[in-house]
Amino acid sequence: MRFIFKTRYQQDIDLFKHNGQRFWYGVLAVLVLVAPLFLDTFYLGELSLVYIYAIAGIGLMLLVGYTGLVSLGHAAFLAIGAYAHSWFMRQGLPLPLSMLAAGLVSAAAGAMVGRPTLRMTGIYLAIATLAFAIIVEQIIAHWEPVTGGFRGQLVPDAVFAGVDLSRGAPFYYLCLLSTVLCLLAALNLLRSSSGRAMIAIRDSEVSAQSMGIDLARTKTVAFAVSAGFTGVAGALFAHKLGYLAPDAFTMLTSIQLLLMVVVGGLGSMPGVFYGAIFIVVLPQFIAIMRDTLPAAVGQIPGLEPGLFGLILILFLIYEPEGIRGRWVKIRQFFSEFPLYRKATHKRQKSYLRTERVR
Amino acid sequence: MTALLSARNLALSFGGVHAVRDVSFDVEQGEVFSIIGPNGAGKTSIFNLISRLYNANAGELLFAGQSILQEPPHRIAALGIARTFQNTELFEHETVLNNMLIGRHVHRRTNLFGEMLFLPKVRRQELEFRRVVEDVIDLLDLQSYRNKVIGSLPYGVRKMVEVARALCIQPKLLLLDEPSSGLNPEETEDVSFWIEDISRDYGATIIMVEHDMNLVSRASDRVLAVADGAVVAVGTAEEIQNHPDVQRAYLGD
Repeated sequence: MRFIFKTRYQQDIDLFKHNGQRFWYGVLAVLVLVAPLFLDTFYLGELSLVYIYAIAGIGLMLLVGYTGLVSLGHAAFLAIGAYAHSWFMRQGLPLPLSMLAAGLVSAAAGAMVGRPTLRMTGIYLAIATLAFAIIVEQIIAHWEPVTGGFRGQLVPDAVFAGVDLSRGAPFYYLCLLSTVLCLLAALNLLRSSSGRAMIAIRDSEVSAQSMGIDLARTKTVAFAVSAGFTGVAGALFAHKLGYLAPDAFTMLTSIQLLLMVVVGGLGSMPGVFYGAIFIVVLPQFIAIMRDTLPAAVGQIPGLEPGLFGLILILFLIYEPEGIRGRWVKIRQFFSEFPLYRKATHKRQKSYLRTERVR
Repeated sequence: MTALLSARNLALSFGGVHAVRDVSFDVEQGEVFSIIGPNGAGKTSIFNLISRLYNANAGELLFAGQSILQEPPHRIAALGIARTFQNTELFEHETVLNNMLIGRHVHRRTNLFGEMLFLPKVRRQELEFRRVVEDVIDLLDLQSYRNKVIGSLPYGVRKMVEVARALCIQPKLLLLDEPSSGLNPEETEDVSFWIEDISRDYGATIIMVEHDMNLVSRASDRVLAVADGAVVAVGTAEEIQNHPDVQRAYLGD
């Protein structure tokens, strides 16, 4: 077991809690930096996709995992980000500015959805965001001058300072850099007042309010920030796709994004990455399995969304804390080896909460 | 002495149920003021009116001479009124430390963008918050729980953490809703000590709803007895205990 002896308040604020973490994250950083040297184009592309999903996941995690608001419409923000980025690029905006602008446009859309849906929670909020996603899908299909309608549109190449970043290793590094920056921004948010306000709303709205947290404002901000990150992911996604059409951002995409944060582990940033790897790997795995399985099973239409749904349900029942939660338990088992008690992670019945004020 | 909080003819009803009717009282600066009454007398309703979780149907509520009935609920903490809840309303999945830091929210001077970049100003503010929080941890002896998640703590400690979180606001007025409910006699005795500490060290005025008459008579300067939503009597603990109307409210005729 590791005991951390704290001598300064700074140690609680620092992103890395001890040298072991610094070392292992250092190793990880080196690995992802040299990855283009030993991965071929296909796997590099898949890894870039992991980063893109992770950025969207960071946004969704802030909303679902930290503010406690469920969104079934995040594909819409991904789409808004992608189309906005493509449009800004065609207007001649430099790449970083265009990505930032795409994030801001998406954030504005997020604030617009957040505001009227403030009074909703749980399933009602999920339905409202779902409706929003469908509206956005329709707008994209019919706003031809800007979006190209059903025919779609070609995404301009991501050229910055004379270098083409739209594919291969340069694109990989662009995604990596964006991911690191977004992750840092999210972690910074979570270790300061705004992030704590979101967490407070997730755990108890009544009490958050009496601690001076403006529910309406904080929820709107959470929606906007979440949509903003997802918009940036959308900008990168546009380059990854190369060609934008409405069918790239359907309800299935929204469900995949939600699946990612739930399977990864709600309320943890590392969980986003586990989840992102999971949803990128799973379709490939299914594709491979299709060939090896008997034709009657392998050729079932809709095998992929079916499996996604099944896995989501299984996780919710058996491991609500996701891959992250499972990993924490395994780690604890080994660190306390002979003394590990099975009941450590049993969910306790919580005490009665004030039900007079709702 | 001026009244820090004064209620004038407060009334609150839910349909046909009159939870609070025509309640008036004054709480002086620096005193410990207890509200007692049988179950359903409207004690917690009065608290919820002060913290603006309920809207009063009639009457006026003045805090430091200003009406607060038009303030939105989240502004109440910024005015300097903090509260605890009867059955604890903590942020369950967070540590004691983070719960208390949320109490500092009303004192934040940074904005969202600065926080995303974690500017030096944000770091300074975090350290400053931390100093205030540590003072409160010292006062209430919560050192050993600092990094524990609320969900893993026993009930008595949770009640303390809730008080600690309210104190982090550095309130002028502290509302304690049944601070001793669910505590054992020893812990209840501690409550009267830290109530004294809080009113001395933090100069906070305290209003508490309490059933334990021992605690009430030991800790409070004045007591307000309510029954059926209306004021029965105001006075010292001794006066109230011997008041015939109060006895009738509790025991019947």
